[in-house]
Amino acid sequence: MIVRALLTTWMAVIIIAAFLYAEAAQGFPGETSRILFFHVPQAWIATLAFLISMIASVLYLAKRNVKADYIAQSAAELGFLFCVLATVTGSIFAKATWGSFWNWDPRQTSIVILLMIYGAYFALRSAVPDTERKRVFAAAYSILAFAAVPFLVFVVPRITSSLHPENTMNPASPGMDPKTLKVFLGSLFAYTGLFVWMLRLKIRILTLEGWRVRDLFR
Amino acid sequence: MKDGLNFVMGVNLVVWFGIAFYLFILDRKIKKLEDSTYNKR
Repeated sequence: MIVRALLTTWMAVIIIAAFLYAEAAQGFPGETSRILFFHVPQAWIATLAFLISMIASVLYLAKRNVKADYIAQSAAELGFLFCVLATVTGSIFAKATWGSFWNWDPRQTSIVILLMIYGAYFALRSAVPDTERKRVFAAAYSILAFAAVPFLVFVVPRITSSLHPENTMNPASPGMDPKTLKVFLGSLFAYTGLFVWMLRLKIRILTLEGWRVRDLFR
Repeated sequence: MKDGLNFVMGVNLVVWFGIAFYLFILDRKIKKLEDSTYNKR
């Protein structure tokens, strides 16, 4: 409870710092760069969630542990959610910076393809009636789906010319303002905590549903 | 510009506290269900 209260407070502090403490980055119109304190962590958490889903899927296929399937499903759902959030915040930034919400920019296009790939994961889970087969197929699909993630998130946007900013908000760049870096890293930490909280809740819900189904057949 | 920024910050804070409140309530409901499920077992 204390940890969740601290996380709630921390995220509120980050939101305030993003608007009042951090400086607006150079080279962006007005204050538009501030959205990147939210957009970039959302994209990172989506990637992390898909990675966790893939690892849990490998564990499920290796040991047939039901909890691994719950983790894989929950992580994929949250990855999808954060991916949608990253797409929405990216579109808002695109409107403010490039004049339209959607430009078929390589980064925008690759994130939509990623959403479709993981949308198919949920369609697969819904389509298979047998529970055991559903888990096996979903696990296999999750592993294959993750093969596309590094390519779509890291490779495609770099081998094609893109409007998407690269260096200005890159923490590894020596030019990043120290205040901006602090808020950015704080935001990344806050989003990670939020993801872990939501993941645990989802796993507990699936576990309860599993118990309920088993009790029905007793 | 500053007023606009404060407004957006305010909206963000309201949305965040709404989400956190929802997660807290959900957490409590799940805890109650877990307690009643484990007591039955």
